[in-house]
Amino acid sequence: MAKVRNWQLGREMEYPYEAPRPKRQFTMIMDTNKCIACQSCTIACKSTWTWGKGQEFMLWNNIETKPFGFYPTGWDVNILALLGEQSWDGDVYEGQTIFEAAPPGERVLGWTPAEEDWSHPNLGEDEPTGNAEETTYVPDAPHSLMWMYYLQRICNHCTYPACVAACPREAIYKRPEDGIVLVDQTRCRGYQECLTACPYKKTMFNLETRVSEKCIGCYPKVEQGLQTQCTTACIGRLRLTNFLSPPDEADPRKPADFLVHIRKIALPLYPQLGLEPNVYYIPPVHVPTEYLTQMFGPGVEEAVEMYRNAKDDPELLGLLMLFGATERIMDTWDVRDGIARAYDERGEEIVAVPLREPTFVRSFEFATQVEGKPVTGYRHNT
Amino acid sequence: MAGGKITRRDALVYGGAAAGGLVAGGAAVAGLAAAVDRRKLAPVVEGAPIVAAHVRGELPVDDPDAGAWRRPRRIRVPLVAQQIVQPHLERTGVTELHARALHTGDELAFLLEWEDGEVDDLDGIHRYHDAVAVQLATRRGPVPPLTMGGPGAPVHLLQWRATWQRDIDSGGKTGVDQIYPAVVHDVMPDDVLPPETAQLYWVGREAGNPLSRSLRSTPIEEIVAEGFGTVTHLPNQTARGFGVHEGGRWRVILALPTARAGVGEALAPGTSWPVAFAVWLGSQDNRGGRKHIANWHTLAIEGPR
Repeated sequence: MAKVRNWQLGREMEYPYEAPRPKRQFTMIMDTNKCIACQSCTIACKSTWTWGKGQEFMLWNNIETKPFGFYPTGWDVNILALLGEQSWDGDVYEGQTIFEAAPPGERVLGWTPAEEDWSHPNLGEDEPTGNAEETTYVPDAPHSLMWMYYLQRICNHCTYPACVAACPREAIYKRPEDGIVLVDQTRCRGYQECLTACPYKKTMFNLETRVSEKCIGCYPKVEQGLQTQCTTACIGRLRLTNFLSPPDEADPRKPADFLVHIRKIALPLYPQLGLEPNVYYIPPVHVPTEYLTQMFGPGVEEAVEMYRNAKDDPELLGLLMLFGATERIMDTWDVRDGIARAYDERGEEIVAVPLREPTFVRSFEFATQVEGKPVTGYRHNT
Repeated sequence: MAGGKITRRDALVYGGAAAGGLVAGGAAVAGLAAAVDRRKLAPVVEGAPIVAAHVRGELPVDDPDAGAWRRPRRIRVPLVAQQIVQPHLERTGVTELHARALHTGDELAFLLEWEDGEVDDLDGIHRYHDAVAVQLATRRGPVPPLTMGGPGAPVHLLQWRATWQRDIDSGGKTGVDQIYPAVVHDVMPDDVLPPETAQLYWVGREAGNPLSRSLRSTPIEEIVAEGFGTVTHLPNQTARGFGVHEGGRWRVILALPTARAGVGEALAPGTSWPVAFAVWLGSQDNRGGRKHIANWHTLAIEGPR
């Protein structure tokens, strides 16, 4: 076991490999507040990468309802139950990671989903917490006792992937150029150790080719400076494909660095598991802090507060407005004169978005004639 | 169907519960016949070398009941759960296999038999296959590490998988339609795209992974390795074999040319070699390093009579 630095835990941890950081790290930011679970992302991914025979149950991208939705069934509650109760001391994780808690004879603490666990991708869809008799679905102030929200899920392209740790053949690797985690399709022998080890359950077994496959971070697009299929298909404009620096190299002009390290509004998914996942979530503003903390770690309350105040924060608002505004990957951005602009690596402008769309206010009345008589009122375009 | 007898191949290719029932019945009869035959065999011996008896003509590679297989002694090979490297096999599911060997001078074959009440011959999600492997040193001299060799100390491996046997017995019908017989497909790439484009959606196959093929000519894979996790598929595959499940046990024949061109020294008559074995029980989640292993045994290749 090597000692590696996991900044999300605020400490060093044990990992089977030295795992030097890539030159830059693929990341995705998800604004959970904007998602309506339309699954446009899921279909964009499915129809691009996994519509082959043998991939029927594969959803490299999926949207699930929390707290009762899972794909595969129980993916998060099962590993949390296995790991047991753990604790944070402020921003430092005092508990055990799934590497540190590995039982004798195993590299990673994991569990193996059954076939049927992969068969219900919409399990729990739109199910809120609480009983309708006891409360109301219409939000009270500050929020109803009933809540649910949508969680957008792709491979986390972790800094310390459990799939890499568990593969006895080293058939899974993390690309040094962008940190995307891939299964070598020529090297895999179908042992499915990755399916047991990945706590996010984002490696899957192809029934026809008998090897594991997973989200490839749309690397052919990323290599051309383009955002992923799930990002560009998102009608809620809630995703951002970007690159993330380690915290000590954070650059406030870079979108992901700004959101994750500077403003700390986007948080990792189950950081306590110890993989340093690289998909970051702006937490939902209407969900109890206790639930959000177990899922996104420390800093949830501050992130929610910041999001609630985004309307008065032109810099943050401007960056959120740039989500979904371009297919290209932003290198830097700024906000000037009420316009948010994104730039490529040469500093050339990719796209510009006004913080407030220009509007024209029409006079209330207009006049026309119907059957020779004057009529006033709104004009309808129907 | 040949001569009115429904074979396993018939059942796999043509399907149907009736054919399946007949085959199961046939297997039971065959199992009984095998039990009667086995009574004629000499008792199983432990601790003695596995002597590859010399026979003339063709080796009975697809018939474990052939008369030639009565000649060599059956050697009991103890098996233990692999707990040398992670991941370990936690629970032992089979404690021994019985090994026999024959050779013609040009080809050498093992007949390996072990108890396994369940046939696991499809690879699915959390569904693993039965398998067996033979491990041989590539050259004479120091015995390589038991752990599938070590750096600079390669071993030569033959692996048989039940899935590959079914690939052959069924003509490659071992995919989604067999794992889930009631599956209903939406439009698939091969329905709407030219074959060369549709093929791209079977990435493992397109990338040339030999494990991703379902059409194959032998159920045996020939491998070299220099330690756990280093299995390398040999470009020139020369092994052949056959496996059948009868009376609650697998009976598998693995044969290879004795010349071992490009792999190591020839398995010449009159020489002895270290040999080891591994067994996987799919129903007990065995796969990869989660397997049963045997210690090194001696393979003595009989000189011509």
